[in-house]
Amino acid sequence: MLPYIIRRFFHLIPTFLGATLLAFLISQLVPGDFVTQRALEPNVRQETIDRMRAQFGLDQPVLVQYVRWMGSLVQGDLGMSFSSNQPVMNVIRRPIQNSLYLVLFATILLWMMAIPLGVFSAVRQYTFGDQAVSAVSYFGLAIPNFFFAQVLVLGLFLFRGFTRETFGYSSLLFPVAGMTSNGWENFTPWHQFWDIMWHMIIPGFVIATASIAGFTRVLRGQMIEYLGSDFIRTARAKGLGNRSITYKHALRPAIIPFIAGIGALLPSLIGGAGLVEIVMAWPGITPRLLDAIQRQDIYVVLGFLVISSLLLMIGNLISDLLLAVADPRIRYG
Amino acid sequence: MTVPNPSQSQMPKGKDVAKVAVGGKTQGRIVWEQFRKHHIALVGLVVLLLMYVAAAFAGFLAPYGMNEYRRTPVSAFMPPTTIHWTDPETGRLTRPFVYEFVSERDPVTRQRVYVENTDGPRYPIQFFVRRPNQTYRILGIWQSDLRLFGVEDPARVFLWGTNSLGKDLFTRILYGGQVSLTIGVLAVWVSLTLGLTFGVIAGFYGGLVDDFFMRLVEVLDAIPGLFLLIVLATLLKDPRNPLAQLFGLQMTSAQTFLMIVMVLGFVSWGGLARTIRSLVLSLREMDYAQAAKALGASEGRVMFRHLLPATASYVMVILTLAIPGFILTEVGLSFLGLGPSELDSASWGLLLRDATARGVSIQFVPWLLIPGIPIFVAVLCWNLVGDGLRDAFDPKKRR
Repeated sequence: MLPYIIRRFFHLIPTFLGATLLAFLISQLVPGDFVTQRALEPNVRQETIDRMRAQFGLDQPVLVQYVRWMGSLVQGDLGMSFSSNQPVMNVIRRPIQNSLYLVLFATILLWMMAIPLGVFSAVRQYTFGDQAVSAVSYFGLAIPNFFFAQVLVLGLFLFRGFTRETFGYSSLLFPVAGMTSNGWENFTPWHQFWDIMWHMIIPGFVIATASIAGFTRVLRGQMIEYLGSDFIRTARAKGLGNRSITYKHALRPAIIPFIAGIGALLPSLIGGAGLVEIVMAWPGITPRLLDAIQRQDIYVVLGFLVISSLLLMIGNLISDLLLAVADPRIRYG
Repeated sequence: MTVPNPSQSQMPKGKDVAKVAVGGKTQGRIVWEQFRKHHIALVGLVVLLLMYVAAAFAGFLAPYGMNEYRRTPVSAFMPPTTIHWTDPETGRLTRPFVYEFVSERDPVTRQRVYVENTDGPRYPIQFFVRRPNQTYRILGIWQSDLRLFGVEDPARVFLWGTNSLGKDLFTRILYGGQVSLTIGVLAVWVSLTLGLTFGVIAGFYGGLVDDFFMRLVEVLDAIPGLFLLIVLATLLKDPRNPLAQLFGLQMTSAQTFLMIVMVLGFVSWGGLARTIRSLVLSLREMDYAQAAKALGASEGRVMFRHLLPATASYVMVILTLAIPGFILTEVGLSFLGLGPSELDSASWGLLLRDATARGVSIQFVPWLLIPGIPIFVAVLCWNLVGDGLRDAFDPKKRR
């Protein structure tokens, strides 16, 4: 197992280098550079601008800039943020953490909803329930994430209007913006945790719905295939109960592709989270990335691209390893 | 004269022999017949056709111009206009009409509310109105000023309400279809061209070439697509970016539109290239490919005349199922304000952006969410059509 892990790890390095190079080349599309904006201010002298260029290394050829940036990157230094004058790492750490919380929560929610639905549709194939599940999953497939979030927010407001008139209860059922309540810093740690969970419910649910459709459909197909196979017939012949057959014998092999899919799921979840983050004012990667890009804060943009691609690759690696652990048929010699 | 049934007629002569040998049907015909039996997919196809026609004839169907609005009297955030079908005095059915609206402040919430001026004159809805000062072009060619319906000034008819500037949402949704419905279809072709070319080349040559392209796909996959899109779209939208400077582009609305198409295609060709490559890897060992090679066909001919067409049915399905994804992505980009700009187009995503704008409380202006419905319907229908096509191409699912 260990040699496999090591080999896979080394396999990542060229891909990662390629991704950084691509990201860096894209950053060269920035019209002018960060200092150009400063140069437009009347009270900034030419010497100051030249000094800033030299300080940030912007006067060097592109390749030199890349090698320099790469050199500090491998030492864990992502450079300085121009606009906030802080190390990039400090600027991007919190948003990445926040996005990860949300994606993790959405993934768990997705599994909790999709597995029962997929199993249900497979066991009750062609019944009304099966068709209802497939109709709902088409719905999840077709509705844009951010629009769904907007609709839910509207629904919550309308519901508040209803409860206010009938019960005099005038707060929202779930929070619709941000990650924490007012005064969060003074909460106890336990309370802080619950507060974040509480804020994650709506955005997490929205992000999960987008992937439920595909997930349920594939799981249903897998389950139907396994339920019709010989080893299930043997299990039935042995006199095993339905429940045990469904969950112990059929579900286990059917779930394997999804373990492999965790890595593939990550990009879509991160991407899907992006727009929901904007609607729900979640302090995650996307709002900060948009902000940084508008300020032409190249190294922050690069930092986001590099760290998110690194996380993505690690996610893929982990799912491959999980797959090797979960599926004894896979040889990793 | 009656047409003889092929099964009863004598053995046909000449070139007809080949046709009868395969049951008298071409592949396209078989697929179409299978597809027709898939009723839901057929419904999807019809709805899509209607949507595309509506977008193409947006100028005719819409009562107003895309950017038309009046400062006075104020019409910002006007709710959908009530159309009266019955005469309020007699209660009998009458020609549909509207009243003029006057704006007031709600004494409690301080929100602007619009009240019907029921004492004023009634303005009947007129059909086939000419508005000479608001002309439009259909498909960019035919100029006209004929509108399907409208009302006389000063009354106005806003079927789905107005936005913050008082522009008619119904009109803008119709025009928005021109952007949102076409970008996906165009981007698929960019993605297809890149994916097919690189996939076929990688699969055909194998070895180092294959390695190079597959590593390239991995690198593209390694950066989260949305972030790549955001960065590329923002930077390329700016006319001062080095690429635009190089080609002398001003990033006019048409150029921005094409740029978005290119970016969408560029970010997403990887998966297709990978699948085509693996198909070609097995196809190139087939007898007919070897035969073509032995007959002295050039590499290019083998690749693009013999191997590529064999992937066609698969590609068509992938293509159809990729379009809804592109529509969703474009709508998302526009929602972030990174699509074609506000003034010359009204992508559905851009319209939804108004609903989350600063200072807008959605519970007072719920109609701003209407643009989400056509997105939903379009994506749903493309998915249905794609699934129908997939089943129609699949010999195992023939009915």
